[in-house]
Amino acid sequence: MPLQGKAAQKPKTPSTDASPSNPLPATAPTAQPAPAITVAERTQQRTDESRPFEAVRRKSGLAALPDEDRAAWYACHFARSLPAKRTRLPPKFQRELWRAVNDAGLPLRPLPRTYSWGIDRSGQDVGRYPTPRFDERFAKRTRLTELVLQSKAFRERRDRLRSGSAEAGDIITDSDIQEERLRRSEMAKLKSELYGVVPEGGFATDPEWDDVLPLPVEEPEGALATISYPAEYATAISYLRAVMANKEYSARSLRLTETIIDMNPAHYTVWLYRASILLAMALPIPAELAWLNAVALEHLKNYQIWHHRHLLIDQHHPTLASDPAAAAALAASERDFLAQILAHDTKNYHVWSYRSYLVAKLNLFADPAELRAVDVLIDDDVRNNSAWSHRFFLVFSDPAASTPGAHATEHDPAVPQATVDREVAYAQEKIALAPQNQSPWNYLRGVLVKGGRELASVEGFAEGFVTGLEGKSGGKEDVRSTHALDLLAEIYAEKGDRERADLCLRRLGEKWDRIRVGYWEWRRKCLEV
Amino acid sequence: MADPEPPTLDIDRHLKYWKMCLRSPLPGAYLSNEGNRMALAYFILNSITILTPSGSERTPLIPPEEKRQIREWILFHQHPGGGFSGTSSLVFPLYVYDEWDSEAGKRSLEHSGLANIAATLFALQLLALLSDEDNAEDAFKGVDRPKLLRWLKRLQREDGSFGEVLRLLPGKGWFIAGGNDMRYCYVATAIRWMLRGDVKEGEPGWVEDFDTESLAGYILKTQTYDGGFAGSSSEEPHAGYAYCAISALTLLDRPSENAPAHHPSATLRSHIRSMPGLLHWLASRQFVYLEPPPPPPGQDPDEEDYQVNFLLPASVASLALSEDDSQTYVGLNGRCNKCADTCYYWWVGGALASLGREELIAREPARRFLLGKMQHRIGGFAKNPGNPPDVYHACFGLAILGVMGEEGLNRVDSSLAVPVETVRKIERARRRLVEGDKGEGKAARLASDAVSMGLGSVGGRPSWLVGVEGGA
Repeated sequence: MPLQGKAAQKPKTPSTDASPSNPLPATAPTAQPAPAITVAERTQQRTDESRPFEAVRRKSGLAALPDEDRAAWYACHFARSLPAKRTRLPPKFQRELWRAVNDAGLPLRPLPRTYSWGIDRSGQDVGRYPTPRFDERFAKRTRLTELVLQSKAFRERRDRLRSGSAEAGDIITDSDIQEERLRRSEMAKLKSELYGVVPEGGFATDPEWDDVLPLPVEEPEGALATISYPAEYATAISYLRAVMANKEYSARSLRLTETIIDMNPAHYTVWLYRASILLAMALPIPAELAWLNAVALEHLKNYQIWHHRHLLIDQHHPTLASDPAAAAALAASERDFLAQILAHDTKNYHVWSYRSYLVAKLNLFADPAELRAVDVLIDDDVRNNSAWSHRFFLVFSDPAASTPGAHATEHDPAVPQATVDREVAYAQEKIALAPQNQSPWNYLRGVLVKGGRELASVEGFAEGFVTGLEGKSGGKEDVRSTHALDLLAEIYAEKGDRERADLCLRRLGEKWDRIRVGYWEWRRKCLEV
Repeated sequence: MADPEPPTLDIDRHLKYWKMCLRSPLPGAYLSNEGNRMALAYFILNSITILTPSGSERTPLIPPEEKRQIREWILFHQHPGGGFSGTSSLVFPLYVYDEWDSEAGKRSLEHSGLANIAATLFALQLLALLSDEDNAEDAFKGVDRPKLLRWLKRLQREDGSFGEVLRLLPGKGWFIAGGNDMRYCYVATAIRWMLRGDVKEGEPGWVEDFDTESLAGYILKTQTYDGGFAGSSSEEPHAGYAYCAISALTLLDRPSENAPAHHPSATLRSHIRSMPGLLHWLASRQFVYLEPPPPPPGQDPDEEDYQVNFLLPASVASLALSEDDSQTYVGLNGRCNKCADTCYYWWVGGALASLGREELIAREPARRFLLGKMQHRIGGFAKNPGNPPDVYHACFGLAILGVMGEEGLNRVDSSLAVPVETVRKIERARRRLVEGDKGEGKAARLASDAVSMGLGSVGGRPSWLVGVEGGA
């Protein structure tokens, strides 16, 4: 229809821009509308502008318009209805009509009377947004669309590469992946801001994990001991389950174990899986040890770390067998690290367990640095029983100076008497520093048994801590160490002096160590047998 | 001066704490136990059972329908290769296990690395704790006893000790993971006692036992120069390990029915290197708890130094001054010169009870310490004085009181760490399970005879059958 085509060529913009070149009809509202506050209000303004006489017509009817305006309105209204009417008008009439319409300058296509802007993530009507906020939202949506398209292109390119149907120029570099990762994190952020979609953690948005279908944890009703843990942990575990089920040993699964260990280092399965990855990929053990140092310092109470370290050394050790210098270097670096970690907790059981394992594995029994390290810790805290225990192991399990497999509580003739002398003196020296400290007393007794000596060989020493037991020698009864009295009871019993042994035990129960009266009474009964 | 009001055990308050643990998710601080949820579940149900002896007037916290659901949840953790996983995050959809190694004709068992020895004991204890007097026989219904016992045997190392999990490490073969840990040795003996029964070799339902002699040898060798027991003979003795060592040795020859925890164990008594040394070491774990001094001004009271409660008396004489013990607090530590902790009353007291030597414990002062210093106002027990309660310490605090015969509590078996009435249920459940295996054993033998007969004419066995037989 020529009419329509011709009309369409005319600028028929709804007068949103109130430029002077497009004068409004004389009686159209001339005052500039107040600046729009919300999107819906701006829309209403625009709608009104596309329907110049609408307000008047609604209010008072067409009759209220001046003749000229009324004629213009009719002309426009008629012209607008022409396509629907399919009426063929005489050419002259058409020319007249369009001239009238053009002269009137009215918009031919008014905006719909109602328009919905939808609701946002919080259920609020977007139409009620102030315009700057709306513009911001619009910009975000535009940006998201742009990112989605780029991301789609990335995926298609990668899928082509994976399926072997790559086209020219289809390459993906590390920086492409890095870019995609940034892109997805921006997309996730935008989606969250726009639509309230909660980002699912790093994995769902990480291109590296696109091909993994996570295996979420499911359990039947009746579950006990559920733990309210963070969503990130649940996500990471569901990816862990997926790669474990596939026995995937890869760089990304290694990184995944790190993520989970960081959140929950006590998860033993993750450590075993990590060990599997290291072995399968034949990754360098020293690098893993270095990584582990940092983890251990961060999680001091954890003990899976030490099992892992144990396993690593087992794996690494054979490669050092032919290289004494490398073995010595490993021993030195391990000792340095142990000193560092023991500085935080000098009695950490797992660290000491590992240390005894290391001594046996690398044969450090005779290494003077090892004994010196223990000495330092005992000097620092003479009550550090862990250090005392380690010293006993170090001195009396040295394969070069003991019977292999000899039991800790038994006499071992292979132990040199000079060693026994030295250790007896060492214990006595430390007892003198703090007589009520049980560690060196236990040690002293242990050394005597190991060395095959009678306990009576330290009778005089022990008696030095006890005076005037029950006023026997006339003086006031004084006990500076209950452990001395304990040992004396044993010594007297060993010598057959049951009466004196009984006196020691009785005084312990009656006065010097009353909380253990049940034990001392039991010892007294044993004397009778 | 006498203590006017001796501290008491407020059973209702403890039940309130456990009800909270039963009904609401545990806080995020328990995340490090995500891999051991079966243990947490055991702490919860064991404590509730200790607090509500049968015949108690309190309404049961868990209705029968819910008990059934919890049973289902526990059995959900049973692994196709035997044993139980410690958490649902280590339970995989069945297809994950469906892998066939056609060359070896064996089902790939790599994933049996997901069943855990400790979780398996906790699961069995839980099944028994959930049963009632009228259905105790069925407590272990659904437990694959032969598979579980065969899996258990595979967890034993050459030196006799046990690990916690099995894992196929690439290039290394089967690896028994878990370090030198006496706990696994104990757990192995407890599982064995709970499931094995007196089945003779050749009888249906018989499964080859693990090497009990080498296990006993390993344990006995870990006694240290000062009389205690350690994770291995080269380590420091530790009360937890001493408990495990003693309980394991006594469980190895505990009669399968109606025997107390402190039955005369030949394994323990005739082979231990030094019983006097052990008792000396256990008795030495007790010490007089001294109130820490207030922190100096400007010092953070939460700083670790002020939470440590192993304080040395100014002189030995100060220990002896008071003739009145009614206000003495006795704490127990796990190692020489370490601080007091609720759980060590359990490990030390439980060990002495299993040895029949409860009299070596200063029971009243230790109880006073537990109730007066470790009991929390919301219920439960803390690890250290002033700390909030946690399920582990709250459970073992109740357990040791139950061992020591605290009024109003269920009597607890010091070796199996559940109420004595639950031990009786375990015995009934074991009897039924073994009977079932004998029946099934007959059926399986019939089937296998039929297959052999049928195959005799064909020659050779199909690979799937080899797989089924070798897969366990």
